[in-house]
Amino acid sequence: MFASLIHPRVLTALALLVAGAGLSITAWQGPESAMLVPRIVLTIWCVMALAILVGELIRHAPRQPKASPRVARSPLPLLMAAVLVAAVATASLGFLIPALPLVALTLWLFRIRRPLPLVLGTILIGGGLWFLFHHVLMIRLPALLTSGLV
Amino acid sequence: MDVILAAVGDAFTWQALLAIVIGTWAGIIIGGLPGLGSVVGLTIFLPFTFGMDVITSMALLIGVYCGSVYGGSITAILINTPGTPQSAATTFDGYPMTQQGRVDEALGWATFASFFGGVLSCVLLIFCAPQLAKFAVNFGSIEVFALVCLAMLCIVGISRGSLLKGLVCGMMGFFFSTVGSDPITGADRFTFGTYALSSGLDLIPVVVGAFALSEVFVRFSARDEEATTIPEARLRFPSLREIGRRLIELVRGSFIGSFVGALPGTGAAAAAFISYAAAQKLSPRRANLGKGEPDGIIASESSNNAVTGSAFIPTLALGIPGDVVTAMMMGAMVIHGITPGVRLMADQAQTVYALFVVLIIVNVAMLILSKPSIGLFRYLFKLPLGFVMGGIVMFSFIGAVSVRGNPLDLVVAALTGILAYVLRRGGYPLAPLIIGMVLGPALESSLRRGLLISRGDFLSFFTHSGIATTLFVLIGLFLVWTVAAGILDWRAKIADRRQPAESGARSATTQEGRP
Repeated sequence: MFASLIHPRVLTALALLVAGAGLSITAWQGPESAMLVPRIVLTIWCVMALAILVGELIRHAPRQPKASPRVARSPLPLLMAAVLVAAVATASLGFLIPALPLVALTLWLFRIRRPLPLVLGTILIGGGLWFLFHHVLMIRLPALLTSGLV
Repeated sequence: MDVILAAVGDAFTWQALLAIVIGTWAGIIIGGLPGLGSVVGLTIFLPFTFGMDVITSMALLIGVYCGSVYGGSITAILINTPGTPQSAATTFDGYPMTQQGRVDEALGWATFASFFGGVLSCVLLIFCAPQLAKFAVNFGSIEVFALVCLAMLCIVGISRGSLLKGLVCGMMGFFFSTVGSDPITGADRFTFGTYALSSGLDLIPVVVGAFALSEVFVRFSARDEEATTIPEARLRFPSLREIGRRLIELVRGSFIGSFVGALPGTGAAAAAFISYAAAQKLSPRRANLGKGEPDGIIASESSNNAVTGSAFIPTLALGIPGDVVTAMMMGAMVIHGITPGVRLMADQAQTVYALFVVLIIVNVAMLILSKPSIGLFRYLFKLPLGFVMGGIVMFSFIGAVSVRGNPLDLVVAALTGILAYVLRRGGYPLAPLIIGMVLGPALESSLRRGLLISRGDFLSFFTHSGIATTLFVLIGLFLVWTVAAGILDWRAKIADRRQPAESGARSATTQEGRP
């Protein structure tokens, strides 16, 4: 029973149920008129998530899931964290400064590790696209300086 | 007539024609790169459109959309890997033809069938959308509520994966649309004290995260797969005599695609398989299907490209997108000041007709650009995956943040990307999430207005008008059909499980009986 509880599909269903239940509490505490539709939506969400969770548990998930060891060994969480950190940092550092290391890390993780292609790729994809949109097409991306230069 | 002539003038500007050429060519290439597809293509090109006028921007996006649907067939034929799910049925006969050394013929038929299906569906769009829009004027709040409920159910029911998982994703998308200020009372909902959330979540960052960023994560976890060797790609268009011999197949596939595309939630992949199934029953050369018969390619390609035009019928006339691609196109239209829905044909007829003309030009451009694009594929497959993925990350970030210039949208895109990756791994379909987010505001406002009209009596919704009653009956029938299909499927699975167990027990008994 415990083995099936830690299966990724069961955990996903459980997380959806917990998230739905948590949001439902907020919805029931809010004003009635504004929260009418969210309450209905979140109730359906919770009922469906509960049904999925029961279904996943009944299905007797395998003890050694195929996907999880590979995901656990892979640096995918590093890429996800880098994307999230770059997204958060954009508000304070502007677009270019977080984007350059993110592009470099993406290239490196996708096995572009020779210095010249890595540096050129980072400059062209990261810096080049930023320059194209921010300075040529004048689509203003978040900037570090108030002048909008960087 | 004056409106149509003015619309033709709008579509034939040099900016719009250049946008069509660039969009279509890029769409063919993006669609041909396995795993990328129409949504990633639109994500990449959306930021370019912000500085353009309405027609030029929509020309670019329509070019990418139609080009990517066709582009998927190239890799389906060359390496048995459909570039997009819409082209999966093309592999059945396309790849056997390549193995037989008939790659030029296969690509020729795929190109011509795509062009034929695309143009025929544009003609249908020109005739049907205005008629549907005239009828849609009769829709009030309660009818819109019933229609959106029916569309949502269809999309959830038909999308891949389980119905329950589709519903959860639909509700999640619907919930995303409720974040921010309440449109009627102005009260904050789910903002958790964050001022930036008061304006709500924008559709584009969610789409970017759900499809483009999650694709990078999925490709990253499968990056060890070996590259495939590509045969030399050539293209030979069929002669008029050959077209005449297979005209019925071309027309049938195009009509099936046009019809299926107009239904919410079905999309080009479903159309291609339905059309292929029809060819298996009706084609005079059906015995050869699956062994390298052009009729199979015609069935798949004419129908999947016919969807590109007809999918705009419910999107433009009713404001109900049929799939993620049309939902994204609808989001792009809203950004450029076009609000699809029942008033669109009356208020902005010239713009709508210009879009129809653009669709026809895109299909002609696709036919012309197919030859130079196909030659590029040998070189494109040698491009390291890292550069493609790095580019997608960068375009995703630019696309997410440039819609409103709000850095919070980047965080939303990143979080949605991680969430979408987890959901994809768990077998949850993502299309209902996006459609739920698009249809959410219409569903909520129509429900609340309907409740005001009926003084809080929800039961009177069912008898409000003939249209509403019909739509609610259809919802009921759809629910009954879904539950019945689910029970039958469940019983079939139980029977399948019992059969091997029983046969195993029988063989064990037989073995025991032997000396």
